[in-house]
Amino acid sequence: MHSIARYEPYLYLLPAISILCVFLLFPFAWNIYISTHGVSITTILKEWEFVWLDNFIQVLNDPNFHTSIKISIIFVGGSVAFQFLIGLVIASLLNQNIKGKQILIALIMIPWITSGLIAAFSFKFIFDNSFGIINYMLEYLGFSSIAWLSDPKIVVWSIIIANVWYGTPFTILFLTAGLLSINPSIYESAKVDGASKIKSFFYLTLPMIRSFIIIDIILITIWSINFFEIPLIMTGGNPLFASTPASLYMYRQAFEFGLLSKGSASGIILLSINIVVAFIYIIALKRRG
Amino acid sequence: MGKLSSNTIEKIEKSFVYIAIFTFIGLTLFPLIWVFTTSLKPNDETMSFPPKLIPEHVTLENYAFVFTDSTIVKSLYNSLIVSFGSMILNVTICALAGYALARFEFKAKRILFSLILGLFMIPVVINIIPLYSILANLGLLNSLVSLILTFQILIIPLNVILLKNYFETIPKELEESALIDGCSRIGVLRRITIPLSMPGFAVASIFSFIFSWNEFVLPIVLANSPNSTLFQVALYQFISLYRIEWGYLAAGITIALLPVIILIVAFQRQMIKGFTMGSIRG
Repeated sequence: MHSIARYEPYLYLLPAISILCVFLLFPFAWNIYISTHGVSITTILKEWEFVWLDNFIQVLNDPNFHTSIKISIIFVGGSVAFQFLIGLVIASLLNQNIKGKQILIALIMIPWITSGLIAAFSFKFIFDNSFGIINYMLEYLGFSSIAWLSDPKIVVWSIIIANVWYGTPFTILFLTAGLLSINPSIYESAKVDGASKIKSFFYLTLPMIRSFIIIDIILITIWSINFFEIPLIMTGGNPLFASTPASLYMYRQAFEFGLLSKGSASGIILLSINIVVAFIYIIALKRRG
Repeated sequence: MGKLSSNTIEKIEKSFVYIAIFTFIGLTLFPLIWVFTTSLKPNDETMSFPPKLIPEHVTLENYAFVFTDSTIVKSLYNSLIVSFGSMILNVTICALAGYALARFEFKAKRILFSLILGLFMIPVVINIIPLYSILANLGLLNSLVSLILTFQILIIPLNVILLKNYFETIPKELEESALIDGCSRIGVLRRITIPLSMPGFAVASIFSFIFSWNEFVLPIVLANSPNSTLFQVALYQFISLYRIEWGYLAAGITIALLPVIILIVAFQRQMIKGFTMGSIRG
């Protein structure tokens, strides 16, 4: 009886841990194996040839990969900047003493609980060149219409807009939680001291939710680095690679061109980018805290 | 006089706050409302120019098409099986794990908890190629069971934390006194712990359902044969197979949106609390 009780908690944890090991940890290691072999969709069930670091060299020398890194930087930078700024403004407005807050937050949440597919299709629809509502409005207001999904210079901004729409509710929610954690009596004393609302926002509010801000930025940066549903569905990464971030590059290599090993190698490069970014942010979090 | 004017300023300020929030909500909901009204338009109106928000003739023909297309109906059916299956499996294993972490003191507790959280730092998309390769070599591609199992990696960490926190709010003493009164361990779970944890189970279930229902990358890679397609993937294949029929697609998107909207309207308070607590998304 006694010895069974000792193992009881391990028994309860076993299913969760084993599923994580089989479907998350093992594939993670298997990725390294694939990336050092020459495997494509057609040779997957045959013998795999060991090719050292050939796949990595191919990826790093691929001009399309260089484009995809550039696209990633714009996509991640744009998405994070706009999600954060819009999120901060809306969260601060919601933090005022207003009625029906619960319902407003529920409405604001809606894009975030839809799928990436729904976000992508909705924007593909309103951005359509010939019958999309956005171009119609532009023309109605006297501007010329824009080739949102086919102009190589514009298309990355179209996927950023869709991604900002999809992702901003998370930041609003997260920063709202941060703002709620501030003790309101602090503002009272600032008011007594004669500080204006704007001043107390920059000198009181922002420093007090600093850790919320940094964690929020870490999370939305890492999601944006790895997220490719929206460009895949809106444009397929086209024209050429003009809307292909590095994460979509990985997917396209493996499942559009069938080059699994090349995809794996770029996946590992993508992972290293994740680690570097997380590391930089963690240093930022520690240094100023 | 001075008091009155500061009151007026406050009123003006407040109306600006409301205007800004409502404008934002309007912009946010606009694309979805546009898709919804499109789903009610007859086909010749969908691509008419200038586009109209309100359909001239309301019709359900797009929904009729979606519900008679055998591939889409099959995929809807598959999505329901996978979402409910994944939900039941997930809540079961996360409840066990959460209970162990909340109620027991044991040597490897910290390490195992950090392992669950740490593994979650691996981005799931990095795993799609090896998962594809492993399942292909085992002959397990295009199987709904494989999908249910792989979907677990999206939701285990979030729901383990959620349920662990929930169990911790139930006083240990309640269970202990029942044990002393001669209740068996299983009896305690059945009569006390499980009934008291129902709200926690509800939120965890909603999360796993929504994650599974919305997931697109794993099913498009691991299951794209006609028999195993999920609803989101079927909608995607819709555009690659035919010329885009926006009316049908809009109806499909509305159907995909429906369960999630219903869930958030019904459980907004609990979900927002849970989202903030876990603050994680795959």
